[in-house]
Amino acid sequence: MTEASTSSEIPTVGIVLISHSRAIAEGAADVAAQVSAGAVRIVGVGGTEDGRLGTSLDALVGAVEKVSAGAGVLILPDLGSAVLTAKAFLADQEDGTDVMLADAPFVEGAVAAAVTASGGATLAEVVAAAEGARDVRKL
Amino acid sequence: MSASSDHEVVVEEAAVLAADLHARPAGQVTRAATGVDARVWLSVDGRDEVNARSVLAVMGLGAVAGQTVLVRGEGPRAAEAVAAVASILRTAEAVPG
Repeated sequence: MTEASTSSEIPTVGIVLISHSRAIAEGAADVAAQVSAGAVRIVGVGGTEDGRLGTSLDALVGAVEKVSAGAGVLILPDLGSAVLTAKAFLADQEDGTDVMLADAPFVEGAVAAAVTASGGATLAEVVAAAEGARDVRKL
Repeated sequence: MSASSDHEVVVEEAAVLAADLHARPAGQVTRAATGVDARVWLSVDGRDEVNARSVLAVMGLGAVAGQTVLVRGEGPRAAEAVAAVASILRTAEAVPG
């Protein structure tokens, strides 16, 4: 997993990237952490325990616990069962949970969310940053 | 333009880019503009301004070393936010990414 702890006393929003592919999830987390100067709690999860493509609810639960610091957690899925696994996770949460799902492009959304979180933004602002990635042209 | 108040401040500062505005310096700019009570916009060559809090929009400027970026801020802490962003632009390191 890729992670970086924040040096700020104020807890920042945690971010979990989930994909079928561990390489995609961890690679996106690496890029997002670097653009955020490492000042963000982010992990990428994906694949099965034996290294095949797939998603795991248990792995997602562990990742959310790992990045949670009291300011909430954003889950960003890429496709297919990553989305279903993230929705299953949220369905298991009690009302008033501080975990939210973002509907956003994976890499761009991860970078936008991570930079925004590292600046001390709220969970709602981090979700908005991720979802706003859909509207930003790169050319 | 937001409604004026006793604390409303508008600040503009031009900064010549020390390095291309790639992902990492763009991230620094957005971090400096986030969590401060000011709204900050950037523009290059008279093109439309972008919100400095959007790292993707800042990267999307496609600004390169030597270009002048106009930094504009509004809000109670605009002077501080604009100075911080302009300083990052002037001192960005020329590294890939």
